[in-house]
Amino acid sequence: MSIGRDDVLHVARLAELKVAEHEVAPLVKQLNGIVDFVAQLAAADVPVDTPEFTVGPVRASLRADVVAPEPLARSAERMAPDWQDGFYVVPRLGHQEIES
Amino acid sequence: MSAVRHISEAVRSGRTTARRATLHAEELLRRADAKGLNAALDWSPEYLGSEAGRIERAARSTRQALPLAGVPVAVKDNIATLDLPTTCASRILDGYISPFEATAVTRLRAAGAFVACKANMDEFAMGSSTEWSAFGRVQHPDFPDRVPGGSSGGSAALVAAGVTPVALGSETGGSVRQPASFCGVVGVKPTYGRVSRYGLVAFGSSLDCISVFGEKVDDAARVLSVISGHDPHDATSAELPPLSLATPRTDLKGLTIGLPEEFFPADLHPGVKAALDHAIEQAKALGATVRRVSLPHAKYSVPTYYIVNPAEAAANLARFDGVRYGKRDGGSQVDLPGLYRATRGTGFGPEVRRRILVGTYVLSAGYADQYYHKAMKMRTLITRDFTDAFSAGIDLLLTPTTPTPAFKAGDKTEDPVAMYLADIFVAGASLAGLPALSLPVGRSEGLPIGMQLIAPAFAEAKMLAAAAAFEAAIDGRREVR
Amino acid sequence: MTWETVIGLEVHVQLKTRSKMFCGCATSFGDPPNTNVCPVCLALPGALPVPNAEAIRLAALASYALGCTVHATSVFARKHYFYPDLPKGYQISQYDRPLATGGQIEIDSPERGRVRIGITRLHVEEDSGKSVHDRVPGKTAIDLNRAGVPLAEIVSEPDLRSPAEARAYLTAIKQILVAAGVSDCSMEEGSLRVDGNISIRRPGEPLGTKTEVKNVNSFSYIEKALEIERGRQVALLEGGGRVEQVTQLYDSSTNTLRPMRSKEDSKDYRYFPDPDLPPLVLDPIWLAQRKDELPELPDQKRRRLMERYGIPAQDAGVLVGEAALADHFEAVVTAGAEGKLAANWVMTEARTVWNESGGIEVSAPRLAALIALVQGGTVSHQSARKVYTLLRTDPADPKVVAERLGLVQVGDSDQLGHWIDEVLATFPAEVARYKGGEQKLIGFFTGQVMKKSGGKADPKGVGPLLARRLGG
Repeated sequence: MSIGRDDVLHVARLAELKVAEHEVAPLVKQLNGIVDFVAQLAAADVPVDTPEFTVGPVRASLRADVVAPEPLARSAERMAPDWQDGFYVVPRLGHQEIES
Repeated sequence: MSAVRHISEAVRSGRTTARRATLHAEELLRRADAKGLNAALDWSPEYLGSEAGRIERAARSTRQALPLAGVPVAVKDNIATLDLPTTCASRILDGYISPFEATAVTRLRAAGAFVACKANMDEFAMGSSTEWSAFGRVQHPDFPDRVPGGSSGGSAALVAAGVTPVALGSETGGSVRQPASFCGVVGVKPTYGRVSRYGLVAFGSSLDCISVFGEKVDDAARVLSVISGHDPHDATSAELPPLSLATPRTDLKGLTIGLPEEFFPADLHPGVKAALDHAIEQAKALGATVRRVSLPHAKYSVPTYYIVNPAEAAANLARFDGVRYGKRDGGSQVDLPGLYRATRGTGFGPEVRRRILVGTYVLSAGYADQYYHKAMKMRTLITRDFTDAFSAGIDLLLTPTTPTPAFKAGDKTEDPVAMYLADIFVAGASLAGLPALSLPVGRSEGLPIGMQLIAPAFAEAKMLAAAAAFEAAIDGRREVR
Repeated sequence: MTWETVIGLEVHVQLKTRSKMFCGCATSFGDPPNTNVCPVCLALPGALPVPNAEAIRLAALASYALGCTVHATSVFARKHYFYPDLPKGYQISQYDRPLATGGQIEIDSPERGRVRIGITRLHVEEDSGKSVHDRVPGKTAIDLNRAGVPLAEIVSEPDLRSPAEARAYLTAIKQILVAAGVSDCSMEEGSLRVDGNISIRRPGEPLGTKTEVKNVNSFSYIEKALEIERGRQVALLEGGGRVEQVTQLYDSSTNTLRPMRSKEDSKDYRYFPDPDLPPLVLDPIWLAQRKDELPELPDQKRRRLMERYGIPAQDAGVLVGEAALADHFEAVVTAGAEGKLAANWVMTEARTVWNESGGIEVSAPRLAALIALVQGGTVSHQSARKVYTLLRTDPADPKVVAERLGLVQVGDSDQLGHWIDEVLATFPAEVARYKGGEQKLIGFFTGQVMKKSGGKADPKGVGPLLARRLGG
């Protein structure tokens, strides 16, 4: 068992996922199954100097600095769950919760 | 003649019209819905009618022949369309209509094709059976109690049932090849970067490829050549022109085909084994040199995949927070964390939640080196195995697509790892970003069996030409034992 | 025994581009909320980032301006946290492979003189949107116009030894980046933001526990905020307590800090390379061109002004502080004025005008002409200042203006003698005291003569004449 109840609750908090009490035990079991399965990689012999895989082109192609926004066929307002006076609206954040 | 070629030539020559094509698609969609296939999600007669008008106007106003004139395409519901919803078969995007269109869809429509319907799928493409759709599971077209494979099971079932001759799916780790194999159709995954991902809802960004189903190799090839080519909206898109197709081959002379021993385990399903043995015999008969090879790190493909994929998925799905679009849950009294947790906790289904949790875990402080970074190193080794084989003179690798034919619905939903192992032969090419396809090569007790070809990066033309030779030589509907 | 303060700063500057870091939306300031948005910066499903070439060019320039090594390959990474003004749920930044590392700059420390401050790294990232807390009652309003605006984050080594030094460092960084044309560095428009890390220790001891000071939006506030935090740490340690790692938010209205209530997990950012973006690979030739492209930087300019014009370091520092004034100074010298005099005028009169109006107003040739009038004794320094003020609006020649105002000095000994006689007649008692030995009264008489003349008497002529009259 590599994953316990606290681990599940911890990652659920990090991922902002509500997990009901009755879901915790089955999740612990399933996540253990998955993590134990992928942990077979630990046994694999990987030379330490192996570079990590990068995908796609070897270098990013860049765009020219031109103001040309992709148009929205439906406005931001129409898509928004809560919108007032041009702003998206969410429950009040205390100033103390402000992050960078 | 392939269906795509037949329809587009008929529309171009005036033997039929785009209007008739859309009406025919409407009729077939109605029948499929009535049969309870549950493969099509959104479609509408009004939209089909407006597309018919658009194609007819385009045909009149352009002097260039529309290569896909009047061709109906089912589009997986994680590919953005302007007029039909794009929900990823998730409650969190129920009713969401994208305000922009995927590059692949724009290119299809510009070529004269139309979106017949959005296709059902595993929620956010997470699954191998299309049982994880928030809108209900998709039936296998021939065996209603079985699964069509996944995650692009809706697209595969629509092509297998003859509703559309071609369909767009998406591959992250075999999500087109595996259902193509289960449903007995052709499924082609291009090289990573060959087709723009712009408008494909990201799942595992370093793995995702818009991919194509066709009744025949030629159907898929024609669609792939239209949707491929560089797109400045996707920084991972290869700076290459659209795929130009090679003349289909009738033999395999001069080709060396590798059989990776790790893909032919002793416990391979007997029907699969028999069908593959037959295909290998045909390869030799068609003039190919067949050689056994080894891909020693292939056995780590699935565990590697199920680290990289959830890690990227957890990040990609963080944007579904109920702030800017989609469904918001939690009621009016909730605080912000409450809003997030309720929206995401109830908006995502069980498999999506599992992947997000696993992905968050393998990236979290103290675990990232052990899991994520180790997996990204292993991915380099897995890729090297392939490139080593190709540089040692192998033109194409030939393997089974899946270890078994289509399994029964409900067989693997309680055991995530058992479900993941359905991807055992397809995960490798995804991790290495290589082009690969599945071709029907027989049936076992009526269940389709697929053969996989894997090619070097950007060698789709060679792979498709060889597949056409196999297709001509092997009756994919033939019972193998 | 004293405490040593150890400060490192993280400075975020907006790179001066037209469009955002990863999409084609405008970066303009002050537009109506949520109008500069598109699928990419709204993080719509299926949208993908494509890096802005100009942002990379500016970041490379900034790196060279700060003496950094720019790496041929750097990697964009995702930094994850949930916040409603962060649309993707992660910020695209750079982590273990930043664009540039290992730089240093020289600053004028108020306590230590000229010191070198190390630059740990410079990396490129995108800005988040803006959360507005007073717009909708009981709710937080989100504006995503800023989301995706390109930033360079500049991290200093913990080389700063006082809050005042931190401020001097910021001033220097701003001057360098503005000179390099990389950023406007306007705190008002949010194009420069600062976080500070501070700890204290006994000299020679290992580093103490550091705390973070955030939410500071002016150079003087960062100094104040760091002062308060230093005081708090000193009090804690001297009272036998311990410093805990904490993030302090500064409130400028009360000049106080308060700890940020942060989730225990908030620091687990789960960085990994962004799979939407291949590595950023920069061609060595292109990089060399960027290095050559750098304009003269403040420090080079400061040295050059000192050497070429013979002005003191202090003056050169002041002039370099505002590029337009330094240019003006050089133009005034080119127009014929002597270096030190030109510097004095530019640092006083021209600078006052610049601070008022943001313009030069009195052109270099006219200022040079005015300086020549003072040097030649035609007008007094006091009068010249009056003339300068008029020259801001009056296009006439400085000498014409001086004449029109009657400010041209009188050196004619008849006229001077007349004024002197009148003064001596008015103050017989003082004349008697002077003659009794109170020599310092000469100043008093000079002042009276100047007053009588309405400021026009040339002091150089008054002195000798006065001495002769009193002595004779």
